[in-house]
Amino acid sequence: MSRPAPLPFRLLERFLPSSTADAVVGDLMERQLTGVRLWRETLVAIWHLRDRVPKEVELMSSFLSDLRLAARLLARAPTFTAAAVLTLGIAIGATVAIFSVANPVLIRPLPYRNADRVMVVWERDRDGSRSTVGFTTIRDYADRATTFERSAALGDWQPTLSEGNEPERLQGLRVSSTYFRTLGVQPALGRDFRADEDVPGAQRVVIIGYALWQRRFGGDPSIIGKPISIGGTPMPVVGVMPKGFDDVTAPGAQIWRILGYAVTDPYACRTCRHLRMIARLAPGVTVERAQTELTKIHKAIAAEHPEDYGSPDALVAPLQREVTLQYRPALLALGAAVALMLIIAIANMTNLQLARLVRRQEEFAIRTALGASAPRLARQLLTEALLIGVLGGLAGLAVAWAVIPALVRQLPPQLPRLGAIHLDLAALGVIGAIVVVLTVVVGLAPRRGRRVSNIADGLRAGRRLTGTPHSAVRAGLVVAELAFALMLLVGAGLLARSVIRLLDVDKGFDASNLLTLEFNAVGPRYDTNEAVFAYHDKVRDAVRALPGVLSVGVVNQLPLGGNIDMYGVEAQDKPESDPAKVPSGDRYVVSVDYLNTMRIRVVEGRAFTPAEERDTVNHVALVSQALATRLWPGESAIGKRIRMGGPERPFRTIIGVTGNVHHAGLDATQLKQFYVPERQWFGSDDQEMLVVRTQGSPTALAGAVRRAIQQIDPAQPIVKIAAMEDVVAASTAQRRLALTLFTCFALAALLLAVAGIYGVLAGNVAERTREIGLRAALGATPGNILQLVVGQGVRLAVIGLAVGLFGAFALTRSLRALLFGVGPNDPATIALATGVLLAAALAACLVPALRALRVDPSQAFRSD
Amino acid sequence: MLGELEQIVLLAVLRVGDAAYGVPVHDEIVRLARRDLALGTVYKTLSRLEEKGFVRSFEGDPTPQRGGRRTRCFAVTTAGRRSLESSLATLRRMAVGLDVGLEPT
Repeated sequence: MSRPAPLPFRLLERFLPSSTADAVVGDLMERQLTGVRLWRETLVAIWHLRDRVPKEVELMSSFLSDLRLAARLLARAPTFTAAAVLTLGIAIGATVAIFSVANPVLIRPLPYRNADRVMVVWERDRDGSRSTVGFTTIRDYADRATTFERSAALGDWQPTLSEGNEPERLQGLRVSSTYFRTLGVQPALGRDFRADEDVPGAQRVVIIGYALWQRRFGGDPSIIGKPISIGGTPMPVVGVMPKGFDDVTAPGAQIWRILGYAVTDPYACRTCRHLRMIARLAPGVTVERAQTELTKIHKAIAAEHPEDYGSPDALVAPLQREVTLQYRPALLALGAAVALMLIIAIANMTNLQLARLVRRQEEFAIRTALGASAPRLARQLLTEALLIGVLGGLAGLAVAWAVIPALVRQLPPQLPRLGAIHLDLAALGVIGAIVVVLTVVVGLAPRRGRRVSNIADGLRAGRRLTGTPHSAVRAGLVVAELAFALMLLVGAGLLARSVIRLLDVDKGFDASNLLTLEFNAVGPRYDTNEAVFAYHDKVRDAVRALPGVLSVGVVNQLPLGGNIDMYGVEAQDKPESDPAKVPSGDRYVVSVDYLNTMRIRVVEGRAFTPAEERDTVNHVALVSQALATRLWPGESAIGKRIRMGGPERPFRTIIGVTGNVHHAGLDATQLKQFYVPERQWFGSDDQEMLVVRTQGSPTALAGAVRRAIQQIDPAQPIVKIAAMEDVVAASTAQRRLALTLFTCFALAALLLAVAGIYGVLAGNVAERTREIGLRAALGATPGNILQLVVGQGVRLAVIGLAVGLFGAFALTRSLRALLFGVGPNDPATIALATGVLLAAALAACLVPALRALRVDPSQAFRSD
Repeated sequence: MLGELEQIVLLAVLRVGDAAYGVPVHDEIVRLARRDLALGTVYKTLSRLEEKGFVRSFEGDPTPQRGGRRTRCFAVTTAGRRSLESSLATLRRMAVGLDVGLEPT
């Protein structure tokens, strides 16, 4: 029995139920039939006896048998199945994950009533940038605008909840009484703010969020009407917001306090631009109409108060757009990357299927010869594709399920609607279906027209001399895959260089061995400035006394810490009549040790002395080089006098010039700054940052520092304890997220492309075994054969890379907003990415090339 | 009423008796019915009869000249025999008085 059974018997065993096959084959063997008679018997037996079932259930059960057959066939081709399922899984999973994030954040309407009518209103600076608005201006806008149904003012507020024994810093807002109605939401418990509460001197009422209510007050409904202690001041709770309410103007906000401003308040002035404004458009009003009206109103107000407005215009823009503005480029770039991934994946699937089809030509030819109809074969292929699709979809579900939580952790916490991000099953269904259908369609397309036409060819497939007609399609797909992989690789490379450049930037301070934290001085004990300063001094001294601490500084805001606190700086010798032309600088109100603790350079003049720290008569300041050059180009700033905060404030003498510090971000271009000793500023800040220069690891000291501060006043919360290096890293979070994802996509694309090249060449070598053998027999050297195979791979790679270069130029344009210190067409990055891909392509050629070298010339002449 | 092929195959199974598997049944049909049916057709008819409950099948013994493969043997059931009888009776009744070679014997 060393000889395999003759083909007819094998066919019978394949197509008949096994017990019938035994009986029939046995009978035929007993009869010892051969030749035409044997074939006739075989074909008739198969025709009559192949699995047949009654008509009613035929379709269903033939689907089931198709499914069983498909499962068997796939199980027999584990490499193909694994590759296909993995490809689909990665593509579907990644797409669903990105969509699940982008949909609630960017696309789905905010969960407010008629959310598309909610606008943000800004003043617009001369350079087009958005500016917050003063209270009086907001009042004027609201009074004069007819296109607004309602509007509200809001300001940031980070109160300390001092209920119980665990003080806690909360994210909150101070808002007009109309705020929630403007957004289009209302409290679930209690009531909304009333207009009569929104005046100075009225009781300071608050509304709290559902999560805070549950967490701190046990969900007790009797909280309504009861005062809670906010930094020692009792404020009655009038309402609780519904579960799941997410305030996109202040993500994470859990408490809202009535604003209570009057236009007569000093902080309500037109230049006191520290509030934001939202407005709800009247029904039927377009954004354009509201914008036109507001532009007119702003110009009128500016004409009435020319000294107060440098801003030439106002801006009305949809809330959803505004709150996602800074994340849009990253998410859209990711969307583009995902789309590329998807295309590569589909190309790869098609390639896999074509490669498999070539290997299965014999099978199809036989089945056609035996009377399997074209629709029957197509149905079988469809079933296989569906099965792969379902498996791929499950893999995609697993990928998305694993990736989304990781992705959410990487997202900046200020991103609105973060809580609404979840695995989007509808998207999974739709994307999965699209991918599978595309795969099937793309996979079936080249098959058409060559269905039954050449059975004979099919039967001889194994001995073919030349490549199949599919090889052109497959080569095209590989070229496309390589092109897309190059685009992603260039994108990843550019982002990587940007992040490296960013972290290399001279920040202007030394972030190593530096511990930072935020501490408060709130409550009745600290209602005088001197009490606050005394507390700061105590904190400073207590921490400095700790072993391992080199020096300690206090500052109102940390560079790269995410705060924006700027003041206009007027030079005494250069009065400026146009307020828009007064330069603004980052305000640093500091203790005497701040500059040396941060190791901020003093490039001219000197730093503060301890005596100056307590001198409240002779006002002094330091300015950054950028501010000094802006105000006195070509002159020394030392001895010049500047004023911040308006005409009622004193002029301060500049005693020194510091190096520029990157405040708003490592990529900041605004480097104008000034430093003032704490007691010389008007008023105190109730939140301060402590910076601690340590001998060893800064985080190792965190516990000791916290305890030292809490011993002074246990009622004051300490938050945001972090090494300065982590603060710096966090400031690049968005870019690093994009980088991480792009790198993942690029690697996946690279893998798929390499697999594609390998597949094509390996398939080719297998199909051309006879040809290669012939060549070898006719005297081709190993070098010739190597050239034959590798040459083909290199040709594909070069074409793919050339196409990819053009694509890369287009793609990287969409990345521009994320790039830093590197152009979108950076030659070094492009060269590197090209090199990497070329090397990978060559590696992919190697295995098939070596296999070609091992082809034994005698194989060429051996028949089946 | 059984079809002609069904009658022939049932009769052939009855004639072969105990070990009525494909080859001898087919032989009977070729010899007496003088028809060059394919084995597949015979099996097809047998399985249709089995579905109707007129024959039952069981596995027979393997033999070396069958490559070690078992036979599939068929036997006519009571219902099959009754149906065959009624079919043939119908034919006979229809043929009464006609010279078509089906006179009662």
